[in-house]
Amino acid sequence: MEIKIPIGPQHPALKEPISLRVTVDGEHIKDVDIRLGYNHRGLEKLAEQKNWVQNIYVMERICGICSHSHTTCYVQAVEQIQGLEVPKRGLYIRTLVAELERVHSHLLWLGVAGHETGFDTFFMYTWRDREIVMDILEIISGNRVHYAINSIGGVRRDISEEQKKLILGSLDTLIKRTEYYANIGTIEPTFVARLDGVGPLSKEQATSLCAVGPVLRASGVANDVRKDDPYAVYDELPFEVATATSGDVLGRVIVRVKELLESYKMIEYLLKNIPEGPISVRAPRKIKPGEAISRYEAPRGEDLHYVKSNGGDKPERLKVRAPTLANYPATVVMLKNMFIADIPIIFAAIDPCVCCAERTVQLIDTKRGDKVMRFSELRKMSIDFYKKMDLSKKGNLWKL
Amino acid sequence: MKLGAFLPEIFKHLFKKPNTVCYPFEKIGVPKDFRGMPVFTSSKCIGCKLCVMDCPAEALEIIRVSETEKKFKMILHNDRCIHCAQCVDSCNKDAIAMNADYELAAFDRNKLKIEYL
Amino acid sequence: METLKDIIFILIYPGLFFLLSYSLFVEWVDRKVYARLQNRYGPLHTGFAGMLQPTADFIKLMFKEDIVPEKADKFMFSALPIFGLAIVATSSLFLPVWHYTAQTSFVSFSGDLIVAVYLLSLATLVLFLAGWHSTSPFATIGGVRVITMLFGYEIPFLLALLGPAILADSWRMMNIAAFYQQTPVLLLVNIIGFFVALISLQAKLERCPFDIPHAETEIVGGTFTEYSGRKLAFFKLMTSIEMVVGSGLIAVVFMGGFPGGFWIGMAHFVVKTTFIVILLAFIRALCSRIRVEQVVTFSWRYLTPIAILQILIVILVKAYIN
Repeated sequence: MEIKIPIGPQHPALKEPISLRVTVDGEHIKDVDIRLGYNHRGLEKLAEQKNWVQNIYVMERICGICSHSHTTCYVQAVEQIQGLEVPKRGLYIRTLVAELERVHSHLLWLGVAGHETGFDTFFMYTWRDREIVMDILEIISGNRVHYAINSIGGVRRDISEEQKKLILGSLDTLIKRTEYYANIGTIEPTFVARLDGVGPLSKEQATSLCAVGPVLRASGVANDVRKDDPYAVYDELPFEVATATSGDVLGRVIVRVKELLESYKMIEYLLKNIPEGPISVRAPRKIKPGEAISRYEAPRGEDLHYVKSNGGDKPERLKVRAPTLANYPATVVMLKNMFIADIPIIFAAIDPCVCCAERTVQLIDTKRGDKVMRFSELRKMSIDFYKKMDLSKKGNLWKL
Repeated sequence: MKLGAFLPEIFKHLFKKPNTVCYPFEKIGVPKDFRGMPVFTSSKCIGCKLCVMDCPAEALEIIRVSETEKKFKMILHNDRCIHCAQCVDSCNKDAIAMNADYELAAFDRNKLKIEYL
Repeated sequence: METLKDIIFILIYPGLFFLLSYSLFVEWVDRKVYARLQNRYGPLHTGFAGMLQPTADFIKLMFKEDIVPEKADKFMFSALPIFGLAIVATSSLFLPVWHYTAQTSFVSFSGDLIVAVYLLSLATLVLFLAGWHSTSPFATIGGVRVITMLFGYEIPFLLALLGPAILADSWRMMNIAAFYQQTPVLLLVNIIGFFVALISLQAKLERCPFDIPHAETEIVGGTFTEYSGRKLAFFKLMTSIEMVVGSGLIAVVFMGGFPGGFWIGMAHFVVKTTFIVILLAFIRALCSRIRVEQVVTFSWRYLTPIAILQILIVILVKAYIN
């Protein structure tokens, strides 16, 4: 008997509202339908009404976990339009925060993976150690989540010798702990049994469905913006692109753990080789006319910002493509023919950041033309729609 | 594969002090440059309103107090403030600084409005 | 005098009053140990070291709004929590705690081990019915998972309990306990069976790694999705009591029971069951949740053969002794 179960918009496995309508036969998943749009915030429109400086903070609030990614991506695009040359020290600090952010995001993800598979002890321990990196970020920037370290033309805060020493000290603990978790994650039989072979995605599927980030790398494609199209100081940094060949959730865990270890190396290098000098250049209030696309390897995958300026103090257009959006098509493929029990971990394996990916597209009927609706009318229409629906009849509830 | 691979670690922690903090009773300190609540020094302000222009949350108002004197007051809407400290960066005269307060919640929204004179 | 003793037995110790308070205490022990294993504090503020937290939770749930879904079978939906509570409370009466003599009585007779195990299985069936009669998709899936898992762990559980019983040559718990009290060395023979029973009990109690029927991140509340308020409180209490009875059963069969009359017997009971509950908390902290088909594979591929091996060992030892 096939039944439809609603995973979301409110579900304990999901931290943000998204709807997965899953058709199941017993415990097997037959079909998945992903519905977005529960948390559209109108960020792109908002960005058009704020000036260049204010927009840094708007971009930061696209995502809490990869807050630095979005600001860096935006700031890079603006600097490109204006032709600003950011000082080396500024770029080093920017990269340092970026890598610290990757560490905190991946540690968070490891914990979430533990929680989604019911391994709460693993979750508690990884999150305990994530506090170390959160504290480092707080010391550098003055805030745990929204670091606000970027400004147009550089960074806002310098890093002192004491801070450097402190970070290097904490880093040792982090490295030791991460190696321990990598070990646990790969030898604890119940945990491995939940991850091994779950959510398969072949190399061909991953490339044809345009997956990004750790999902793509776990399928054996060494694609990383930091290597392919280096920004900031990544061309100077010694690091390797972490890949796995298994293409399942276990592979995604391994990729993330490897990336963690790579990040520690990079942080150490950055701290030891940071040059002296100014941290930023002064940016004008008005940016030259022009447009730019900026790419950035966020912890979740490739982040992309398009900025267009008309010479004023506000952007004319700002387009954000968050990495999660690129991974949705692959998720549907990964979920098919799996068990209900695997839904949370497969969905969590793309490290979804639902709100970041919410964009609207307005479809205009060319025959009838555009229709403008007031919010009150829209509300009335939705109430009428539900009143007309006969909820007692079977199958009416989930009709689309 | 090893059954109960976590056992030594969790057993060790059974007799250790928990890592969590009983929050309202004990508190962890904040670092030196923590971004808490903006505080305003009226004597330094020259009324350029750069902070108002750059505040992403529109949480600040700078109002001239008297017609004759160059004296300004700041109204901070703490319910809107996002603690980004852009006002501190924008101010050329160091009239705004951040303190280390982080327990800013209140039951009434109006109580979050703060006037600095 | 005998009647008075019966009444005390049913109402106070080890009957309802003791059972309720002790099950809440056991829940606290479980939560506290689990929290400390995870480097957390656990319950802390209600009562001494948070000891009254489970009671407070229970009382709070009792006052919460009680909702019966429109499409649910109203009678069954409301009756099942009480059924379940009654069943596990009844099964506790069979534990040879204090009230037993050489003569058979209504709580101690030949075969009471089987009756206690049977009653505990009925409690699982109640969970299935609760999920089934809620009619929501999550609850239905949860209910089906309960039954699927039952096929996995029930056989090893019974087989594990069978070993010591064969060695003691009795189906009466009191006699089994008395046998091992006389020769405690023979307890070591059953050590494999003890762990099999422990793991099966963990599955019976639906705790991690076997918390599949109410896996929070997968199917929300599973069997309990539609339950709220008083009914949910009863189900939670039922699970705690089941934990007491299950660990009591293992303590009787594998750890020599609770000799020594009222007070010493009670001390035996508390120490032994708490020890088993702590072991269960360790298992819970050590594993991640496995899938339902992995449970069945695991118990038929590993647990059942090990339980049978245990029985073989017991038979050989018995032949050697005789």
